[in-house]
Formats: sequence, structure tokens, C-alpha cells
Amino acid sequence: MKPESHSPLPPTLPAPDFGVTDRRQVLKALAGVTSALVAGVGLGEAASAQETKTVVALVQPDVATLAGYMTSAVATCLVSTKIYDGLLEYDFGLKPVPSLAESWEISRDGLTVTFKLRKGVTFHDGKSFTSADVQFSIMEVLKKNHPRGSINFKEVTAVDAPDDLTAVFKLAKPAPYMLMALSGYEAPMVPKHLFVGTDIRSNQQANAPVGTGPFKFREWRRGQFVRLDKNEKYWQPGLPKVDRVVFRYIPDAGTRTAALESGEVQVGGFGAVYYSDVRYLKKLPNIAVTEKGYEMISPIVEAHFNTKRAPFDQVKVRQAISYALDRQFIIDNIWFGFGKVATGPMSSNFAVSGLYTSDVHNYNVPDRIEIAKKLLDEAGFPSNKDGVRFQMTIDPTPYGEEWRRFGEYVIEALRAIGIQAKMRYEDVPTWLKRTYTDYDFDLMLSWVSNLADPVIGMHREYHSNSIKPGAVFVNATRWSTPETDALMDHAANEPDPAKRGELYHQFQKLVVEAAPTVWIMELAFSTVTTKGIKDAVVSPLGLYGNFAKLGIG
Amino acid sequence: MIRFITRRLAQALPTVLLIFALSFFLLKLAPGDMAAVMAGESGGGSAEYVQNLREQYGLERPMILQLFSYLKNVATLNLGYSYRQNMPVFDLIMSRLGPTALLMLTSFAVSILAGVALGIAAARNVNRPVDRVISVISTLGYATPLFWVGLMLILLFSITFRQLPTSGMENVAAFNEGFARVKDIAWHLVLPVVSLSLFYTAVYTRLMRASLLEQSKMNYVVTAEAKGLAPRKVMYGHVLRNALLPILTMAGVQIGSMLGGSIIIESVFGWPGMGLLAYEALFARDLNLLMGILIVSSVMVILINIAVDVLYAVVDPRIQLN
Repeated sequence: MKPESHSPLPPTLPAPDFGVTDRRQVLKALAGVTSALVAGVGLGEAASAQETKTVVALVQPDVATLAGYMTSAVATCLVSTKIYDGLLEYDFGLKPVPSLAESWEISRDGLTVTFKLRKGVTFHDGKSFTSADVQFSIMEVLKKNHPRGSINFKEVTAVDAPDDLTAVFKLAKPAPYMLMALSGYEAPMVPKHLFVGTDIRSNQQANAPVGTGPFKFREWRRGQFVRLDKNEKYWQPGLPKVDRVVFRYIPDAGTRTAALESGEVQVGGFGAVYYSDVRYLKKLPNIAVTEKGYEMISPIVEAHFNTKRAPFDQVKVRQAISYALDRQFIIDNIWFGFGKVATGPMSSNFAVSGLYTSDVHNYNVPDRIEIAKKLLDEAGFPSNKDGVRFQMTIDPTPYGEEWRRFGEYVIEALRAIGIQAKMRYEDVPTWLKRTYTDYDFDLMLSWVSNLADPVIGMHREYHSNSIKPGAVFVNATRWSTPETDALMDHAANEPDPAKRGELYHQFQKLVVEAAPTVWIMELAFSTVTTKGIKDAVVSPLGLYGNFAKLGIG
Repeated sequence: MIRFITRRLAQALPTVLLIFALSFFLLKLAPGDMAAVMAGESGGGSAEYVQNLREQYGLERPMILQLFSYLKNVATLNLGYSYRQNMPVFDLIMSRLGPTALLMLTSFAVSILAGVALGIAAARNVNRPVDRVISVISTLGYATPLFWVGLMLILLFSITFRQLPTSGMENVAAFNEGFARVKDIAWHLVLPVVSLSLFYTAVYTRLMRASLLEQSKMNYVVTAEAKGLAPRKVMYGHVLRNALLPILTMAGVQIGSMLGGSIIIESVFGWPGMGLLAYEALFARDLNLLMGILIVSSVMVILINIAVDVLYAVVDPRIQLN
């Protein structure tokens, strides 16, 4: 995903960047001076109004819609997750915990999942939340309109509502991943009475959503902020702790950092703060930084080969390039240390659920350059008299400056093994069309998130049924094998966690060996908060949580 | 005068149509479309999802049909709908026009007053220290990148001295109302206006100085001095009035482009203006919105040009409309 993650700036628009580098240097140079002064001044009179407890959080990029039920764009979901709850939430062990559903039961054959709903929950307009809303949300709204709905609820054939507080999911095959996709982020519960009989895609709920969450939508001034006020009738007694949450859009990264430093804004995450600025802010006494809260996002920085184009159709060439890139160097020098070496297609965040293995082919070895050269010789690409084996083009994703620097590094690293590369840097729509529609690239640099479960975030990159021109962030390498397809299909419907782990271990070994992609690093996002802010991150969904427990002062 | 204005308006119509058709095709030449961008923002999405979006937005229809249906809408003053933002394009533009106008007109007034004053001071002290100092300042103002000035001002006044807000148009934690809100907005306006005015002031200072110096060598000045008028009278009664014409020309050009917004200032100060709206629309391939902005901007430029032409006649009675 892109956006879910995204680094410096997500989504769609590259935030206007006028000479980023200089700007950052300037800021840094002055940082010393200011922090000295600031230390004496008494920090952070947070801009909060006196009696009303208000928290101002950054949203980046600008919010285009509040319809969290039909987009998973970062900006939208940062806001919509406070308005809409899901049936479940998750703990740091990636286990479901109750939310709108008080309990749930899976039948022995895995084909029926019965949810008992919480009593007395109402939507912000006062109407009760019942199993009819669950049925409608899943079958009519999410399955048909959410970008991942057709994956998350693929096996759901019906949702029955025997009584107001019981929702029974009928599945065609067991779908263990579905239980990971029921958060307010992945599957918001929407009010049937406001959608039924309307065109869901053009419903005005997208501009003024009504949910059951701890905060009610109050006002949205486009290009400036979205204001949410406390839901006085929230089902959890004593929550939410603050009266108001305002999401502010500040286009410039330097200004976002300044706004956090001055205390005007108190929460920022998901790449809203530049990595270099996170390092600077971390040292200030009035700022706290955490890397927790992205365990169900798990973005991985990757370089994808066009495996249908020579010479990248040869596994030896792909392996050689996999050897050529120094992952730790990239982490330290391009991402300012915010990351961890990736071993393969699955994030190590899935170690807690037993799905991840590091026992795969290791390209990160001391004599990797020698091995790479040898592989290229074997593949039939000797150096010519200028020391060049062949030429190629690098297409970094245009989501921020570090991708350009990553591209520059790749060019240098390839030079060391005799490959002459050049870089092409286009705007987002052009790049999306080139890579995911026209497949007109050699090697493209990007990042894709594993999300809540491998079925949701990982299969799309490797399964043959995800080779679909025009769909984005799916299988652009067009690599697949019947064997790996079968492993994924099997794992998707395997209810036993241990057996499921086994299948994924095998899958990881095969894919890493075939190297359709170079897995560089597990990208770490940071959440920056000012002093006095408590519990902004309480679950693996981090800022995509509902902020019910968020406190200030 | 009425005839002049009517004629100019009639001439403007084909111009607008031409601008419209050209931009439509130019924008359509850009690779990629909104459906892919929106799926990209969602971190991917199934093929069905993207296909649904394309159909809903009418991106599958032949381009010429898209152009015609668009033209038809515009003819009925309907600028269309931004599917990405779930809002009529006209409403979106109007919501940004206010903040843009506030920022731009304030900067415009500040810079033109400051520029004219500094220009006069420089011209009256030509080649003396005052002139030199003003020249250096205006060169600096002209040459310093806007984003840098903006960030430095934020660093100084918002972080070091903690006197002014870093960004935004008003305090979104307090939600002031009435007079408190006006004061709050004025407070937020200070830094962006200062940054933006620095540049335009430099432009007007240099223009004013050059124009004054040029006029002061004219024969009518010699005549005025010969008949014994005090230097102040010559300056303010004769030279200045003539020297203002180039300023007026420049102001006309500038005010038109200013209403399009300043991406840099809006970005650095988080000001919700038209520049950012257009910028974001471009990168999201939200062509309905982009076309709407282009149409509104081009109409404004044309109207302002007509207004400036009329003003010429007012400032300089020798100029006849027609």
C-alpha cells in the first residue's frame, strides 16, 4: 500500500517540495540555536483550549473523503477510524479482542462464525446498532466497495441476523484471515438506515459520516482540518477521555515539524514527519517518539523485477542483483536508520503468529559482490571492454525524496557488478500506469504493506490471479508458479495456525530463492507526540485505532 | 466606456473556449487516471474496485464525448463534480477563493504601498546611501526563495519567540467566534503576508525607482521646475502620476496570477488556497476540478485585464478607450 504507509508523503501527492535538502539542512543548522532558546522558554503551551480537552493531530496528505468504507487511504482512515468502530480490535500479540462484538465463536468446520454483539450501542444519530447493520456493512458496503473488501470477505456467502444481537457469517471455505480484518480500519460498521436504497458510492455519508465510534463528526473545512467531538453516549463508560480531536493538514514537512515543536499540533505519524526531523525532535524534552503501532501495517521496501522482460526472466540475473544491494547501507543512509533488514516477502511482525520464517536464502552475505559477478557470468552476461554487462532503467516510486536517493544508490550498487543503470522519476499517475498497467519497466522501487494478514497484504504480490493490468500494488513482476499459488491457496483456507505457518514457511523459501523481488527493509514509521499526550498508540493499528483512550495533560 | 467593455467581453468568449479546449486535451495527454491514483492511495485494491471507479467516473468513454459533455455542462455554468472529493467543483473552488483572496489582496496592498514608498525614497536619494540600502534589500527580497523566508520566519517567530502561529488560517483547537476569530485570522495572516510581500515589494520598489528616474528626465519636469514649482510639488503633482502607469500595468498582471494562489506559500504556511487545490488536483488527475480551476482563473485574468484598461483611462486622461 502505499498509502498506508508511505513514507514521506503518501499518497497521492508528492507534497510540494521546493529544495527539500537545503531546507532540512537549514532547519538542522538552526535547530541547535532554537532548542537552546526553547529550553529556557517553557515549552509546549499546547494550543489546547482551557476547559475543553482538545488534541490536534496531523493528517498527511490532505483528506479527500471521509468514506473509510470505500477507501483505505491514509488520510481518510486516520479520521474515519475514530468515527467508525469495527466488530473487533487487536492486541499486540495480533489476537482479536472484543469491540462491537462482545464474543465470537467459530464452528468446528470453520464455515460459520457467530458474533454476539454488544447491547445498547447506538449510532451518533441515536439509532441502535444491530446485526442488520453488520449484515449490510459486510455484504452491501464493504464486499462491494472497499478496495480490499472482495479479498477480506471473499469466502463470506451470507451474514444472517437471527436476532438483533447475533450476526452469523456463513463461509464457503474457512477464512482465518477474515478474523484479522474486522477492525474499524479494515471493516468499519456503517449504519444501514443511512445507506439502504441509496447509491453507496455517492452517498453523502462520505462528507459527514455517522458511526458508533468514540468521536462524532462535527466539521470539515477542506484543505484545513476535520473536527471531531466526543461521543457522549459511547458504549465504553468513561471514554473517550478527550472532548475533541482535530485533524490538521499542513502540506509542508518543515512546517509540520515546527508545529509539533511549538506544540500547536500534538500527534503526528505515518510519515507525516520526515525521518531526519524525527531524529531531531526525539532529542527535544517536550517530544516523545515511538515506533510501535504499525504491526498490522508492516510495510516492506522492495525492488520489483519485470520478470517477463529479458534479462530479468533469468533467475540468476535476479539473484545477482539481489546480492548487489547492501540492505543495511540503505537503512542507515537513506532511511536514517528507521528500518530493519527484510529477509523475504513476509514481515517479521508475523513471527508472533508463527507465520514468518527467517530460514530462507540469504543474500546479505560478506562476499555478495563476488557471488553476484559470478552469477552474471554464468547467466551469459560477460563484461564488454568498458566493463559493462548490460544496461537497465530504474523506476523509483515517486512518493518522496528518499526514493530518488534510493534509486541513486541502486545505480551505484549495480555499477559495482558491471550493470549500467539510469533512473526515471515520473509523477504518481504516470508511474502507476507504467508499472501496473503497461508493465514498461526493468526494476521498480516501491513499498508494499503486509497489512493484517498475508492473505490481505502479501498474496497480491505473488499470486498468478493478481496479475491484472490496471489494478495497482498487485503482482507487477508477473512472476508466479503453480507450486507457490497452491501454497497460498491452501494457507488462505487453513484454519490450523501451525499448519498454516508450515505452508507459509515453505512459500517464503521458494519465493526468496526465485527472487522476483529484492526485499530490502521492513520500514519503520514513527509516531511523534508532545509531552502530556498519553495512549495515542494502544494497539498494533496505532493511529488507526479509535483514540478512545487518548489522554492529554 | 460601456461599448468598450461589451466589446472586450465579446472578444473574451472565444479566448476562454480556446483555453478550455486546449487545456482539456493537454490534461488528457497526461498518462494515468484518477481511478488508478485513488486505488493507489488505498494501497492497492482489487481489479474490480479499479474497474468500478473507471466506469463510475466515465473514464471509459471516448475522449471527444467526454469533451462535449463537459462543454455542455460549462455552458450551463455547471463546472461538474469532483468524484475524488465528493463535492461539486464550483463549491470546492469557492471554498478556496476566500482564503486566497484574503492572503493575496492583503499582500498585494502591503507590497504596493511599501514598494511605491521605498521606490520614491530610493529615487529621491538616487546614488546616495539610502538608495543603496534600499537596492540591496530589494535585491535580497527578490532573490531569496519564498519557502526559505517562510521557514525562517516560522523558526524565529513561532518557535524561538513563540509569538505567532506556525501555520493554518485559524486556531483549530480554540474555534474562536466573532471578533476573536477575526483577530485570530489576522494573527495567522502575518507570517504568510510578510513572506509573500517581501517578494512583491522588491518588484514594485525596483519598478517605481526606475520609472521615477525615467520620468524625472522628461521635458515637462524641466518646464515645471523652470516655472518655479517646489521640488515636492513637481514630484507628487507631476512625476509620480506619470510614473504610476507601469506600476498599474504590473499590478494588473500580478493580481490576475495571484488569484491562482501561491503553491509555495500555501504549502509552507498551510494556507487553504487555490494554488494547493490545483496542485493536488493535478497529481490526483482530478481533471474536472483542474478544468474548473483553469476556467475560473482564466475568466478572472480576463476580467481584471479589462478593469486595468479602464483604470488607465482614469489615471491618464490622454488615453481614450476604443
